[in-house]
Amino acid sequence: MLSEELKQKLRTMIADAESPREKAVDVMLEIQERHLWMSDEAMEEASDLLGMSPLELDELATFYDFIYRSPVGNYVIHVCDSAMCWLEGHQRVMDYISIRANVPIGGTSPDGLFTLLPVCCIGYCDRAPAMVINRRVYGKLTPEKIDRILDKLAGENEFHPPE
Amino acid sequence: MPRLVIDDLEIEVPKGTKVIDAAERLGIMIPRFCYHEALGAVGACRMCAVKFIQGPFKGIQMSCMIDAQDGMIVSTTDQEAVDFRKRVIEWLMINHPHDCPVCDEGGQCLLQDETVSSGHARRRYPGKKRTYRNQYLGPFIAHEMNRCIHCYRCSRYYQEFSGYRDLGPLQIGNRLYFGRFKEGRLESPYSGNLVDICPTGVYTDIPARYKVRRWDLQRSPSVCIHCALGCNTIGNAHYRAVMRVEARMNPYVNGYFLCDEGRFGFSYTNGGADHAQRPWTSKIGGADVTVEAALAESSSKLSEIAAVYGPEAIVALGSARNSLETQSMLSRLCRRKGWLGPVWFTDTAVYRKVRSAVERLDSGIAVSMREIEFADFVIIAGADLLNEAPMAAIAVRQASRKNAQIVVIDPRPISLPFEFRHVPAVPGQIERCLGSLVKGSISKEELKGLDSAAKGFCKALPAKFGDKESGISIPELADQLMASRRPVIVCGTGIVSESTPALAADCAQLLRESGKKAGLFYILPGASSFSSALLSGPDAKGFAEILSEIEQGSIKALIAAESDPFRDFPDRERLDKALSQLDLLVAIDYLPTETVKRASVFLPSSTVFEMNSTFVNPEGRVQHAERVHAGGVPIWGAHPPRIVRNFIPGGDHQPAWEILWKISAETSVLESVLTLGELIAAEMPAFEATGKAQYPVNQARIIPEKSEGSFVKPKTRPEQGQKPKGFNLLLTDRIFASREPSVYADTLEGVFPEPALFMHSEDAAAAGLSDGDTVSVGLEPGSIEVKLSVSERMARGVLILPRQKGIEWQRMKDFSAWIALERIRKI
Repeated sequence: MLSEELKQKLRTMIADAESPREKAVDVMLEIQERHLWMSDEAMEEASDLLGMSPLELDELATFYDFIYRSPVGNYVIHVCDSAMCWLEGHQRVMDYISIRANVPIGGTSPDGLFTLLPVCCIGYCDRAPAMVINRRVYGKLTPEKIDRILDKLAGENEFHPPE
Repeated sequence: MPRLVIDDLEIEVPKGTKVIDAAERLGIMIPRFCYHEALGAVGACRMCAVKFIQGPFKGIQMSCMIDAQDGMIVSTTDQEAVDFRKRVIEWLMINHPHDCPVCDEGGQCLLQDETVSSGHARRRYPGKKRTYRNQYLGPFIAHEMNRCIHCYRCSRYYQEFSGYRDLGPLQIGNRLYFGRFKEGRLESPYSGNLVDICPTGVYTDIPARYKVRRWDLQRSPSVCIHCALGCNTIGNAHYRAVMRVEARMNPYVNGYFLCDEGRFGFSYTNGGADHAQRPWTSKIGGADVTVEAALAESSSKLSEIAAVYGPEAIVALGSARNSLETQSMLSRLCRRKGWLGPVWFTDTAVYRKVRSAVERLDSGIAVSMREIEFADFVIIAGADLLNEAPMAAIAVRQASRKNAQIVVIDPRPISLPFEFRHVPAVPGQIERCLGSLVKGSISKEELKGLDSAAKGFCKALPAKFGDKESGISIPELADQLMASRRPVIVCGTGIVSESTPALAADCAQLLRESGKKAGLFYILPGASSFSSALLSGPDAKGFAEILSEIEQGSIKALIAAESDPFRDFPDRERLDKALSQLDLLVAIDYLPTETVKRASVFLPSSTVFEMNSTFVNPEGRVQHAERVHAGGVPIWGAHPPRIVRNFIPGGDHQPAWEILWKISAETSVLESVLTLGELIAAEMPAFEATGKAQYPVNQARIIPEKSEGSFVKPKTRPEQGQKPKGFNLLLTDRIFASREPSVYADTLEGVFPEPALFMHSEDAAAAGLSDGDTVSVGLEPGSIEVKLSVSERMARGVLILPRQKGIEWQRMKDFSAWIALERIRKI
């Protein structure tokens, strides 16, 4: 399922490493750049490239919050649920986004645009409550701010359509 | 050695002993889940908390994480520690489903025991329990993840200890899941140990599932007879059926573990799932009779034949699955009655190899399986450990985990659960590879210090022997061997040349004399092959000779004691004809063999679970297996019979030695020697050391302090003469599907490997064949049809044919053959 071009890129990446498995997470993130999530087939092909068993790669994949083993939307909204954000209204933020973007908690909106997930501390405690969407961090969230962010993202066309 | 006080008791323990083990030595079992002696400590479960009152640590600490040190005062009963452990249990029980009444672990569950003993009985947590979806893990292991307490024992055992990579921890935190990437059979042939090692019921044994409660089982210490290693087991029987086999800790042999063949291959003793496979009743001419009638018939026929044709018209066959008692009786009877035999091996070459191996072992050089784990360089010559002796592969893996270099010199496509250097040498080259490797490791200084015999031997070893094709450099390996301190040579007795076992012994001896603590371990072909080699003289007749005597008509009767030449002999047609000429074929067995089917008189014998018996493993260790139950047709699977009878159906079986004694009508056999102990000692001088009247003997080693033979001049150049053309077809063993009790065990049917003929990929390409083709191997006459499996990781010029169910290798005519290329055709 991975294109030959992508595989070649990954092979070069792996060849740079002292031992292939140290690139495991990078390889998965690279695949997600293209495919948004790690399907079973992608896992098997990636583990092949890395010389790991699919299980060994899955041990890593399922450990990390930012590697997705189920399909996700184009924007994955991770709302921080560590102590500070939780005190500052993590649940309210989750609920608001869920209603506002029509996305169930832990699921994806019907238009395939947003996925809503919790994440443990992202180090933005001073600007709680915070969230991270496709590597961009947003702090001091208010309903108005969330509206602006979501509208902007929904209006943007820069994301790649799902393959 | 540190000296410490635990619960007011003082103990001195070796340096490096964990406090939890020190306590165990005092008989104090500190509760634990994640800690296991074989796996080491991780400190994950927090269950083994104790209070350190004095010494370098203070307060509550995990006893599995702290080495015993001088001056420590430890309390396991301190209120703070007790409370701590109680809270840990309460925490671990939050998600546990409390399904003990339907759980097979119930009654043997560490979690159950420790929950009860901690006093935790009331649930305070009102939340929902976390649940999981289970996976199908194959025909042996049932998965029930809801019971998991996240101790990591399974993944540590599976990945670190046994070296397989398809079961492990997934997810994170409270969602942690132990399973596979996808559902499917576990790849490890050691998966059954998950059942023993899991402290609760996540992994349970499928053959025994929902059948019996632990406290209803009859349990006895037993010994596995599937391969030669003699792993220690516990037999568990109920309602006249063996329900399951568990590993029994033996620090010198199998440690805590067992392979799946030994653990799950027991159903032959029950006659399979329908109990109909085992021959339960005595037979004369195929018709059921009482055991007395069959004994009388064979006894009178034997005396008749002896009277008319002389006693040498009677031949006795034994096998490598006889108990030592049976072997001793058989050997004594042959001598006293003048019968021919006993013949233990159908392949005379294997017999000679086993004999030369046994002759060369002495207590200086023989290592136990456990000692292999401490080797820093292991040479495996002509042995496929995973298939021939599975637990030995696990022992070598432990050495490999400690960074030992492992070299395998073998033509087969060897796969082992650790990294190793494979020298794919054909059988004729194994000696040269081994010899040059050992020679290369002896430095000039070391050579000077050797005595003349050793020096002469070393000089006669072949020098540099590189293998260009495989890219393996023997000199490089020899340098590593030179640097090692505790090398071990593991030598097979299957595909190797007849002189190889002795050469391996000489090489080990040479390494020893050059200052290393070298060891030697042989892989023998069966549970009793060590003792059968001890019992036969150097001029014992081979089976082929016996067969020609039958053909000539000088042998009239054959007694097959737990021996099945129809399975073992490679010329079925000839055997068929010869045996039909016999006047009498007495079969004594517990397996439904072809010989049993053709016997004129059949007498059922007891399995290892139904009698007290003794076996000697390849390092000369005598091990006693106790009777687990009386046996008989199992009543499990149906309602117990409502008819009242005063006998046990299928209860006619007796130990083979007892049957032999009875049919010999030799009342005097046991008159002069009164006990089994005396019988064994009388037949085997090696047992004299253990005390003549001693019975049973357990865990003694019957090898001499110094063996007699040494430093046979090695062959320096390959054998001269006409080298046969074509491919050398080698018969080999395969895990689950080759050894005798296993092929009659229906519990193993689900894991039988697919029958295949193995060939090097370039050889196959040259013959126009590819992987997966069905090929016909032409023999004279007839042919064998089998699927082809090609590999790059094997020697060229050989064909590997497993002696397994589904391959009619008995058409081969001989134990090995040369096959011309044009006789291998795709069909």
